[in-house]
Amino acid sequence: MTPRPSRQARGATRKLGELEAGARAVVRRVSGAPELLHRLMELGFVPGTTVTLVRRAPMGDPIELRLRGTHFSIRNSEADRIDVDPI
Amino acid sequence: MSIPSDLATAPLTLQEPGRHPEHGRRTRRKLIAIAGGPNCGKSTLFNKLTGLRQKVANYPGVTVEKKAGFVPLPSGRTVEVLDLPGTYSLRPGSPDEVVVRDVLLGVQASTPLPDLTLLVLDSTCLDRQLYLCMQLIEIGRPVVIALNMMDTAKEEGLEVDAALLARAFGAPVIPISGRTGSGMRELLLAMDREVAPPRAVTRTLPEPLRAAADPLTRMLPITGPLASLSRFHVAMALLLDEGEDDSLMRAVPHPLRREVLSLRASLDEEIPEWRSHEPIGHYRTIEDLIRRSTLRLKPETSVRERIDRVLTHRVLGPILFAALMAVIFQSMFLWATPIMNAIDAGVNALGRVLAPLLPAGPIRSLVVDGAIAGVGAVVTFVPQIAILFLFIALMEDSGYLARAAFIMDRLMRGVGLSGRAFIPLLSSFACAIPGIMATRTIDNRRDRLTTILIAPFMSCSARLPVYALLIGAFIPNRMVLGFLSLPGLVLFSLYMMGILAAVLVAWVLKRTALRGPRPLYVMELPPYRVPSWRSVILTVRDRAGLFVQKAGTVILAVSIVLWFLASYPKNAEVKPLEKRLEAVEHGAAASAALGVGAKAETKALRAEAAQIQNQIAGVSLRDSFAGRAGRLIEPAIAPLGFDWKIGIALLSSFAAREVMVSTMATVYNLGDADQTSVSLREKLRHAENPKTGERAYSPLMAVSLMVFFVLACQCMSTVAVVRRETNSWRWPIFMVLMMNALAWIASFAVFQGGKALGLG
Repeated sequence: MTPRPSRQARGATRKLGELEAGARAVVRRVSGAPELLHRLMELGFVPGTTVTLVRRAPMGDPIELRLRGTHFSIRNSEADRIDVDPI
Repeated sequence: MSIPSDLATAPLTLQEPGRHPEHGRRTRRKLIAIAGGPNCGKSTLFNKLTGLRQKVANYPGVTVEKKAGFVPLPSGRTVEVLDLPGTYSLRPGSPDEVVVRDVLLGVQASTPLPDLTLLVLDSTCLDRQLYLCMQLIEIGRPVVIALNMMDTAKEEGLEVDAALLARAFGAPVIPISGRTGSGMRELLLAMDREVAPPRAVTRTLPEPLRAAADPLTRMLPITGPLASLSRFHVAMALLLDEGEDDSLMRAVPHPLRREVLSLRASLDEEIPEWRSHEPIGHYRTIEDLIRRSTLRLKPETSVRERIDRVLTHRVLGPILFAALMAVIFQSMFLWATPIMNAIDAGVNALGRVLAPLLPAGPIRSLVVDGAIAGVGAVVTFVPQIAILFLFIALMEDSGYLARAAFIMDRLMRGVGLSGRAFIPLLSSFACAIPGIMATRTIDNRRDRLTTILIAPFMSCSARLPVYALLIGAFIPNRMVLGFLSLPGLVLFSLYMMGILAAVLVAWVLKRTALRGPRPLYVMELPPYRVPSWRSVILTVRDRAGLFVQKAGTVILAVSIVLWFLASYPKNAEVKPLEKRLEAVEHGAAASAALGVGAKAETKALRAEAAQIQNQIAGVSLRDSFAGRAGRLIEPAIAPLGFDWKIGIALLSSFAAREVMVSTMATVYNLGDADQTSVSLREKLRHAENPKTGERAYSPLMAVSLMVFFVLACQCMSTVAVVRRETNSWRWPIFMVLMMNALAWIASFAVFQGGKALGLG
């Protein structure tokens, strides 16, 4: 699970939930309970994947993400388990 | 292929399995399972293939829907097709996904191992869809891949190389469009052929994981359900599926189970993140496949982006959502009411037509007041169910339902639920039954149960006649603060009270009986699509049909029991009344036969017959089991301010709440009464306590009674539907006890508190 070095240089690692709407980033690491982790990874949150935070819901939570050509909504609490490198 | 012994009794066999003419031996139809992710167009394809030759049931022991149908193939034979629930992965996280895995691995009770799996992939987002494909290929059973929505993909500037994918998987890959029907002929031909098992795609697993799977593959039994599958896949499934006692683990011998558990434990120690190697390996292969097979010719279209910018807008989104909900809510009241009234009138007319044909007495009463009235009560719910599901199907198919949940999630989380719970709860204001049925869109079991249990607290349309009667009789029509009418304010408070109770109960349940780890909330926001009318209509038909079929039988049975309790034992006064009724009816029939000249006389005789009928009803109810029960429960309800007459009404309102109004009328021996009936209101207001001679009912009692109606579970149709949806008696019984206890406590507090304050 080594991050791609070329991307690492572009910005400090942040939590996915902290991104601005419209920002893109590369997944670096996913943490959490085994089931949750496996589930997120099966959905495509594997290290090296590009993810876009499309928008936030009217009350700021959950968020809409674009990942591998699909749009998902997940809650901030789950998005905070995913470390990303902003592009 | 072994022949399952339970095939003849399998609930889904629509007709007798074919018999082989020469051997007289049963042969099984070819079974094809349709698998795919949510929103891949799987169900549309299923509907297109099977047409109306389909049937919906439940898998045994769970509330997962089993949709099956028959498809005639070009060769002339017919195959059975199973539409599996949509899933992203074969590693199950929900009951739906357990069923998908169990069917595809052949360990699902009552469903034989499919001979072929038809995997439906949405070509517009192949990347994510190929994950399920990788797992399915690995099972090693014959697979045909349908690349759906190829036309949409082309429009969006995507080109997919089907031949390359076919070579990579060693399985037929057929581009189709469920929308236009292109490619269907090729698909049917592929389903008709014998398909060889696919080639497992090379994958990168770290050595320790491979080493762990290896001894497991050797320990697998060589006979039994799992024997015809890839041993590697079964080993990985056993290792990766978290359960210790789930259906897959139960399908293997004990020593193997112990081995699996110890292997998991040692892997946890050696490679803490070993579970993530499967997704990482699969996605690596997928990325490579996508790079070679898919060409993006145009930049991504922004249609969805433009729609979403409005529909999920910070301000506009919630406003539009509220407006849509208002439309749905209104139509459930406005559109359904005339149809419901028409059904009601039809049922009554049927009773009137049948009544003179049957001899006056128990048989007529059983048919007219028991069976017809009971079934009528069920059928009147159908319009509301149909309207709600029409909207839900439209929202689901167009992709809006996911956006609605996206908007409402934050708010619903306040009571520990997710955004998906909003629509079922809102619908429950019209009627809890369609609301409870709509909880099927909630994927988490605990969230779904909580929503089911609090849905009946929303004041449904059946409570409105009761509120209207009592408010009209006891609440003075005064203005409060100069602009609010007191009756309106009381009505509003009753609705708010129900909502408050629901929030409270949800909060308590999520911290006690239904506590558990918060589920991972992941929801796909699919692209917007024009709904397919065929799917929408089939959904509405299925829902209405299921309700009539399943809930209907229970409701019919209970109606007959209630009828019996309200009619027996017979009072001695009834016999002469029945005699007189027969005579009067005879006279009316004779007079009607005379024609126009005797019109006035006929009318008078018919009116007399109706009056006698009411008298009979009143007399028999008073001394019936129900009447005695009303007096029996009087001590229990006296602290709430209710007497035995209200006790009868409360008991009979279990058939349906609005029945309370007609029961009150019967108890007071009145003719036709409805909630606006002045005479019933007057009777109630001036009823006297026979012992003291004081007014029997006070406004305080009325408030206490209304509070009771807000909170109590008095609707057997709801109980029947909860039984059906939860597949157990435990939850409906819990619901009845919980709601009625709450109702009693609240009414007690209102009545006794009010008396202490000198209000009563």
